[in-house]
Amino acid sequence: MSVLLKLAWFFRQEWRRYGMASLALVGVGLLTMIPPWMIGHIVDSLADGTVTRPALYRRVGTIAVAAVGSYILRVVWRIALFGASFKLANQLRRKLFMHFTLQPPGFYQKMTTGDLMARATNDIRAVEMTAGEAVLALFDGAFTGLLVLVMMTVFISWPLTLVALIPWPIVGYFMWRFGRQLHASFKDAQARFSDLNDDVQESISALRLTRAFGRESAEQEQFNQIATAASQANMDVARTDSKYDPAIQLGIGFSFFLSVAGGAFLIYHGRLTLGQLTSFTLYLGYMIWPMFAIGWLLNLVERGQAAYQRIEELLAMKPDIADEGNIADSLNPDLSMNIDRFAYENGNDILKNIQVGLPAGHMLGIVGHTGSGKSTLVNLLLRLNESPHAAITLGGYPLSQLSLDNLRAHIATVPQTPFLFSTTIAENIALAKPEATQAEIEQAAKTAQIHDDIIRFPDGYQTPVGERGVTLSGGQKQRIAIARALLLDAPVLVLDDALSAVDVKTEQSILRHLREVRRGKSTVMVCHRLSAVETAHEIIVLHQGGIAERGSHNELLKEDGWYRKTYDYQQLEQTVEEGR
Amino acid sequence: MKPTFFRLIRYALQYKRMLTEAFGLLLVATTASVLGPYLIKVFIDNFLTKGRWDMWPILGLAVAYIAAQLIGAYTLLAKAMRFNRIALNVIQTLREQLFAHVLRLPIAYFDKTATGSLISRITNDTEAIKDLYVNVISGFAQNTVRIFGILIAMSFLDARLMWICAALVPIAVILMFSYQKISTPVFQRARTLLTDINTRLNESIEGMSVIQLTNQQAAFTRAFSKTSTEHYHARVKNTLIDGLMLRALIDFIYALLLGALLLGFGILELSKTGAVQIGVIYAFINYLGGVTQPLIDMTSRLNMAQQALVSASRVFKLLDEPEIRDKKTPCIPQRTDIQFDVNRFSYDGKKDVLQNVHFKVQKGDFIGIVGHTGSGKSTLMSLLMDFYPVTDGQISIGGIALDDLTDRQRTKLIGFVQQDAFIFSGTIADNIRLEQPLSEDEIVEAAKQAQLHEAIMAMPDGYQTVLADRGKNLSAGQRQLLSLARTLARKPRILILDEATANIDSHTERLIQTSLMQLRGSVTLMAIAHRLSTVRGADQLYVLHQGHMQQHGTHQELMQVEGLYRHMYELQLRADPTAE
Repeated sequence: MSVLLKLAWFFRQEWRRYGMASLALVGVGLLTMIPPWMIGHIVDSLADGTVTRPALYRRVGTIAVAAVGSYILRVVWRIALFGASFKLANQLRRKLFMHFTLQPPGFYQKMTTGDLMARATNDIRAVEMTAGEAVLALFDGAFTGLLVLVMMTVFISWPLTLVALIPWPIVGYFMWRFGRQLHASFKDAQARFSDLNDDVQESISALRLTRAFGRESAEQEQFNQIATAASQANMDVARTDSKYDPAIQLGIGFSFFLSVAGGAFLIYHGRLTLGQLTSFTLYLGYMIWPMFAIGWLLNLVERGQAAYQRIEELLAMKPDIADEGNIADSLNPDLSMNIDRFAYENGNDILKNIQVGLPAGHMLGIVGHTGSGKSTLVNLLLRLNESPHAAITLGGYPLSQLSLDNLRAHIATVPQTPFLFSTTIAENIALAKPEATQAEIEQAAKTAQIHDDIIRFPDGYQTPVGERGVTLSGGQKQRIAIARALLLDAPVLVLDDALSAVDVKTEQSILRHLREVRRGKSTVMVCHRLSAVETAHEIIVLHQGGIAERGSHNELLKEDGWYRKTYDYQQLEQTVEEGR
Repeated sequence: MKPTFFRLIRYALQYKRMLTEAFGLLLVATTASVLGPYLIKVFIDNFLTKGRWDMWPILGLAVAYIAAQLIGAYTLLAKAMRFNRIALNVIQTLREQLFAHVLRLPIAYFDKTATGSLISRITNDTEAIKDLYVNVISGFAQNTVRIFGILIAMSFLDARLMWICAALVPIAVILMFSYQKISTPVFQRARTLLTDINTRLNESIEGMSVIQLTNQQAAFTRAFSKTSTEHYHARVKNTLIDGLMLRALIDFIYALLLGALLLGFGILELSKTGAVQIGVIYAFINYLGGVTQPLIDMTSRLNMAQQALVSASRVFKLLDEPEIRDKKTPCIPQRTDIQFDVNRFSYDGKKDVLQNVHFKVQKGDFIGIVGHTGSGKSTLMSLLMDFYPVTDGQISIGGIALDDLTDRQRTKLIGFVQQDAFIFSGTIADNIRLEQPLSEDEIVEAAKQAQLHEAIMAMPDGYQTVLADRGKNLSAGQRQLLSLARTLARKPRILILDEATANIDSHTERLIQTSLMQLRGSVTLMAIAHRLSTVRGADQLYVLHQGHMQQHGTHQELMQVEGLYRHMYELQLRADPTAE
């Protein structure tokens, strides 16, 4: 029940809705008691022949008024209560999303997308049900149940109530047993269902093999077996599940039997009237739902409890990179990196002894084999990681003194794997600058050599990306990501192996245009293919986290080192690619 | 939606016997449950009000009541089981059909369809159809029969008052239809918005680094909040409609009818047209509740029905996809020489992947097909495997066009070793055997030929080693060897290796080559290889570049000319310095 306490802030915040819902539910409960009572009186008056027209009209009129009142109040509580619980879901979801936007990359490495999605969907749904359905069950179960019990015991007959309720503990026991059986067989059914999923997945992955080996019938046979197992597991579920209704029906039947029998006995002794017996059986009908509501309530609260705890844990996570810098002005974009050593938690040194500067307007090339530390260096530069042994300054100030916002305003990045959102191409390019004009977008696209590709799509710049639109090649995605970064026109542009899927001719053309539009601004070029850094003012070759070679393209070619070897290799590779 | 519904019903009609039984049981169950209040009525009117306390007749009534309850409960259970069995049988049939159908779809279909959605068709959508049968159709049948049963029982008691209660039925039907009309768009909108929320959330989590690097956290949070809040509003609206039109309204109408009923009884009594029997009132009140419950039940299941029908229509759409064409007259090839005459081939109808590839492979020859990534060499082999139909040109084996070969003959003739070997869960022996009737010796022989025997023997359980999780406990090279062994065990007359030795160390590769060379002359061998050393010894090498044949000849011949092959060869002699 403690989840209800934990949600107290929300109940306070929405006290009007909850107050209204509570009042309405109490009202419905009270009004519901009226018709059976009136019916009892009418029956009595009919039985002893004392019925009069005015009395009849008055009583039927009361029933009608109670019906109208119940109807209105039922609509009111539903809107108030469920409206409030939906609001909670909305509020939590927005809060979570906001929280997600503050988390650094490390957070996303720790948590899988599936996990985060589960928090934001299933868990929120469970909490929402606690704030809505569980509160309803509390009222229906506790309040209405008690009210009916009071009507039956105090106003009609407590011995009859005791007799009439005899079957229910028995039914309750069976429900509990069915519940346990159902839980077990349901788990089994779920497992069989996931087998079925796995089998289909496997069969589709192995389809070419199946065709090549002509083993369709073997696949089919296996599938049929697994599907049959799933079907049998479902049948086991159905076997238990189908017992609920008959059990409840039996409970109701015997309860009525006992109340009529007991009622007849009391009537015989003159301690009960026929009308009272009629009222009694009607009240008995109202007892059924509250008895189930209690079980439902416990279940909902239990689930909500666990869900809310997981959401709270998630919200309590603090980003490990503090955004405490207060420099928000434009700085002269001189970059300097002074890294003694850097290692991830409990790891070996990834970077060591790196001293390199990038004066405004220059281009720095960073090359090296896979795993040489290039990406780590870029991450430090973007302050996605930090370390006291890695001093990086922008315009003379340590990166931590700049607000993250301001840092990112200075540095535009094209990441290694381009990520496009499922909106139009234009919106994807203008992601960082939603107010950009079409002309600006096209200009950026032209520089990135993607404009010609875009206008060939069915809706040009308005073509959606992804399932509902075009499927882009890796190279096209990369070029759109470049256009996106260019549109920012930031003082520093970081291309993190952002041309890997682009052919050499296009790459050279992009670089040529880049030089023009980015005259006077800085560029950091991380790449595998050396042709991309030929014009850099300085190139550093990383090897096992340190600088192995440095200099301009021509200087490095003269040294007979890694750079020279790679250059020759890539020249030959280029020849082969061109089919020569 | 209607044709979908009737198509679904046709599946159930296969089970005439079970259906008849189910409906028979349903009639018995309904009669038994309708009998209960009637028996109480008899007790009230014939004994209780008259003060007659004859033991035997009363005991008879009691026994009849209890018997009716027990029979009712039992038949209800038996009926539910029948309906469940029919539903599960239908689902099993549907699943088997779907799976068989998927196995017969052209490979091109899988290229354009996400595997996830295909799996979902076979598993989740059919599961939703099960809910349609179990909850909706059987529920509707049960409720309709119940309502009619009660109305008939009422007409026995008092035909005039029956009509008051019967008024509920048309009102409820009109209500259901108008509810459906009004709520569907709102309901759909809420659903669409929820999908939007989830898509947005998922995408934002995946692309968070981009959002952060471009400083768009606020904009994305705003957009997310907007969708989430719209969803909230849609749900509130939905709840309002539900509140106004569903349970509360039916409860309201029920209360009004109850009033009308009592008024009717009162007036009958007052007008002295005949003294009203109290038992009749009791039974009527009871019956009226019995009519209301099914109506509420049906209304609340309408949305579920709609969702299930959407699933069903998706399933049928997949079932209606055209399968691969059946072969004409099967001819059995006497020779195994292969003639390639591909004028052009394209996956999408726009970009040619192959053009003018013509060559002949003699029986027992070893030929190699080489080329850079994207040169079309794998496509050529896919055509030979008949994964895609050759639209312009023809490939023939032993003078018989692929079109005229049945799948069975083709698979017997050709062994195909893929680049990504697919490993089934099971033992190594099972993975080599698949479903062929192979002896232990044949399996060992194949493993020896594939140079896998020693590695298998080094494992604790040898050939009985269980491979879990798609062969995660094997190295990439071992998986390829296993795939080779599996193919060799089937003693194909044509063997295709599609990059089948890419992950195998050079020592093992040499051993494999020795084994393959022993097949030379008896088995036609075609190998696609990126690693040129694999195919050095081929009788003929074909060098593809961007879909056309650039060079051909033996290794020695090709090395003598300055050209693509020689450059590729030289490139491979050096190691890529950018790789770690």
